[in-house]
Amino acid sequence: MFDYTYLPAPNLIPQLIEMMIKIIFIFTLNIGFFAPILGYVERKQSALMQDRIGANRADIFGYTLGGLFHIMSDAIKLIVKEDFIPRGADKVLHTFAPFAAVVPTLLAFAVIPFGGKYNLWGHETNLVIADLDVGILFVFAAGSLATYGSVIAGWSSNNNWSLLGAVRVASQMLSYEVAMGLTLVGVFMVYHTLSLTEIAAGQEEFFHWGIFLQPVGFFLFIACALAENKRVPFDTPEAESELVAGYFTEYSGLKFAMFWMAEFLEIVTIAAILVGVFFGAWHIPFLSDDSLLNFLAGIFGLNFGSLFTMLVHTGVFWLKVAMFIGFLMLIRWSLPRFRYDQVMKLGWKIILPLSLANIVVTGIILLMVN
Amino acid sequence: MPGKTVKVDRNITLTFWEKLYIPEIIRGLYITTKHFLPNFVSVVRAYILNKPEERKIMTIYYPEEKPNIPEAYRGRPVLVRGEDGKEKCVACGLCEVACPPHCISIVGAIRKDGTRYPETYVLDGSRCIFCGLCEEACPEEAIVMSHNYENLTELDRGLMIYDKDALLVPEAKLKERLEFIRKRAYSKCNY
Repeated sequence: MFDYTYLPAPNLIPQLIEMMIKIIFIFTLNIGFFAPILGYVERKQSALMQDRIGANRADIFGYTLGGLFHIMSDAIKLIVKEDFIPRGADKVLHTFAPFAAVVPTLLAFAVIPFGGKYNLWGHETNLVIADLDVGILFVFAAGSLATYGSVIAGWSSNNNWSLLGAVRVASQMLSYEVAMGLTLVGVFMVYHTLSLTEIAAGQEEFFHWGIFLQPVGFFLFIACALAENKRVPFDTPEAESELVAGYFTEYSGLKFAMFWMAEFLEIVTIAAILVGVFFGAWHIPFLSDDSLLNFLAGIFGLNFGSLFTMLVHTGVFWLKVAMFIGFLMLIRWSLPRFRYDQVMKLGWKIILPLSLANIVVTGIILLMVN
Repeated sequence: MPGKTVKVDRNITLTFWEKLYIPEIIRGLYITTKHFLPNFVSVVRAYILNKPEERKIMTIYYPEEKPNIPEAYRGRPVLVRGEDGKEKCVACGLCEVACPPHCISIVGAIRKDGTRYPETYVLDGSRCIFCGLCEEACPEEAIVMSHNYENLTELDRGLMIYDKDALLVPEAKLKERLEFIRKRAYSKCNY
């Protein structure tokens, strides 16, 4: 007979459903929307920036939709391609590496809030999958785990280019993780918390956004985040002209697609953290949450009012994220690659001292204000 | 030979603002944005309005859109069919002589009214170099370079040998090119 004592108590079921909805939402949005569409966006945006047209040939019954079907043809190509494991490569690790690269980038989304707290039909909803007290540290931890994917990929491929790429990944990630953690310390000091939800909630007023309270921290963080992302200004680990494709030289088919996806999802993660920490998360400038809720509740009633507030806030958050993704893509297609020693010099000799100075100055100002 | 060391000024001393990176990065981003935004607006606008000529990007979506051919363009050489339905060619053989790769071969004949005409006029498209000398040599404006640049190649060379039927094009379709020939200074010497 089935033992019913281990079933969750009835009042946990709504929470479980809520949790499942949030997880499915984040999952579909990332894997189903951002990962494929960013490939298209990148091709089109870079083309337009260079006075080209970009992908526009794939069509279904003669309709091209400006090249949107290239997403599908890319996916089909990657699925159908041969999954090649080079001779002498470690088969288990070679297969494991792409998973180790993708999973942490998705993991980071667990603590990123994409909306505030709402009361729907008597049920308290908090639009974050896991509201951890040390949220931002969890993101850093996940980012460090992502390094393993790249390093294992380079190590197991039995290819010198891959190995060099992996070595570069390891040193670059190590250097910039130190600086990245320190750049955000100023933010923790200003908002008195490590939780991303509370940092986001503290930015309700327009002039309390992180960009106004921590401008230096913002520039330093964006530099570190770009370096963590391993994209162009800091793409020495996968430098085409030097290392073929760096640590994923020996990957093809779906495994290559997973590295590709990890890279794009990392952009989304970085954009989401930038928005959550420096650009007021879901808050609309000069419009407080309560006044929006009161306004919508006055029209649609309390429950539907808070539902629509939730939708508006979520929409605003993802809109900001989309704008930041565009900005990161702009940087990627504008700036030339740093030389490898320049990357190290920038990380250790410029960003690290500046972030330490930022902490000191923030502390002095906080003491003076209080 | 041990030469002396020459100190080359590579002009790489950076100013204070350049050393800060950020102003220069913003300048770089401004340049790319300056290209991106107008291109984006014009491409989207042209797509919605379905007016390809409003696109600011020079690229042409080739098979769907055709480029504007300048009148001096030398495409496939064609024979002109006059308004009376007969070819203008009098089988004088000047084009045959002028043709550098010898791709034209003519057999002339005389009609009952005494005018000459080419009984066969064969132009080997696989040898033609599109130089336009036949057009310049022709005293009758009978062979001109058309603006046809499509379907000029075949998988079989035999299919690229054009006879009179394949070459004849009505005069009305070639008006632009004929006017251009008359305008050309050196072509006036022919008359």
